[in-house]
Amino acid sequence: MRAFVARDGAAVATLDEEERLVIARIVADVGLLLGAESFGAEHHSTLPHREDLAESLRFLEDLDDAPVEPDDPALLRLLPNASPRDRDVSDEFRRLTEEELRSTKIARLRRMWDELSADGTEWVIPAEHVMATAAALTDVRLVVASRLGLESDQDAEALHAELSRAAEAADRGVPVDADIDPERMWLGMLYDALTWLQESLVSVTLGGHA
Amino acid sequence: MSTQERLDPRTGTAARVREPWVTVVWNDPVNLMSYVTRVFQEYFGLARADAEARMREVHENGRSVLSSGSREQMEVHVQAMHSYGLWATLERGDG
Repeated sequence: MRAFVARDGAAVATLDEEERLVIARIVADVGLLLGAESFGAEHHSTLPHREDLAESLRFLEDLDDAPVEPDDPALLRLLPNASPRDRDVSDEFRRLTEEELRSTKIARLRRMWDELSADGTEWVIPAEHVMATAAALTDVRLVVASRLGLESDQDAEALHAELSRAAEAADRGVPVDADIDPERMWLGMLYDALTWLQESLVSVTLGGHA
Repeated sequence: MSTQERLDPRTGTAARVREPWVTVVWNDPVNLMSYVTRVFQEYFGLARADAEARMREVHENGRSVLSSGSREQMEVHVQAMHSYGLWATLERGDG
């Protein structure tokens, strides 16, 4: 994976096929969480997780009613309460904005998924799509962070300490500590990769922006 | 933050005008400092140095008031912040 750099007025990163597949998959999962139809369902074999499916169905049930605060903390992070201390203000905000927020987020994720699912190793983002892509990457990172239980800056630091220990153990060829959960480490590495990609994307200078 | 000096055109005196609602952006462990700065530049039209100062306020104090005005205006701003993935709320200004 190579970070985003500026080229001919666009931001360009390089990801191999497996990296594209992994990121496209989590992007599609976040789309499902937001109630989207499965991205590329017609030619993709990935089935939604059961919990994602349940979440999608719950969204369908809610269609006739005013939207309610999501039970899933990851979805709540994508569609937060606008006024945690005032339930009426939060509910009114949700009623006014949630549908549009969902569709904005889904459209951005879908475009990112399409780009990652195209052939080739380059991921080219034209200047006018940089912020929308950075926003979609944020949504994916918010969901991964929620699954990792990152609620404070200290949680994020603790995760990095864990990742370093796991990487050191791997370098020395010794087994990782029993208390390190491989699935959590995998998710943590994905989170770091997405963070690194987003940081490079936001830092690229494409004229107009200093 | 929710109160500001305004010149009354008839009397020529400064009147305290209460802005009834504010948009607050909160710190979170996920959003990158560079990204938050750019969102503030792009959306609120802040100069880079001002956007950075607001981002630092969010990061160091846990929150920053980015705007004040009517509830409807603040709902628009909060929706925009949520679309960028920032954690924002609207509050009644406490004058």
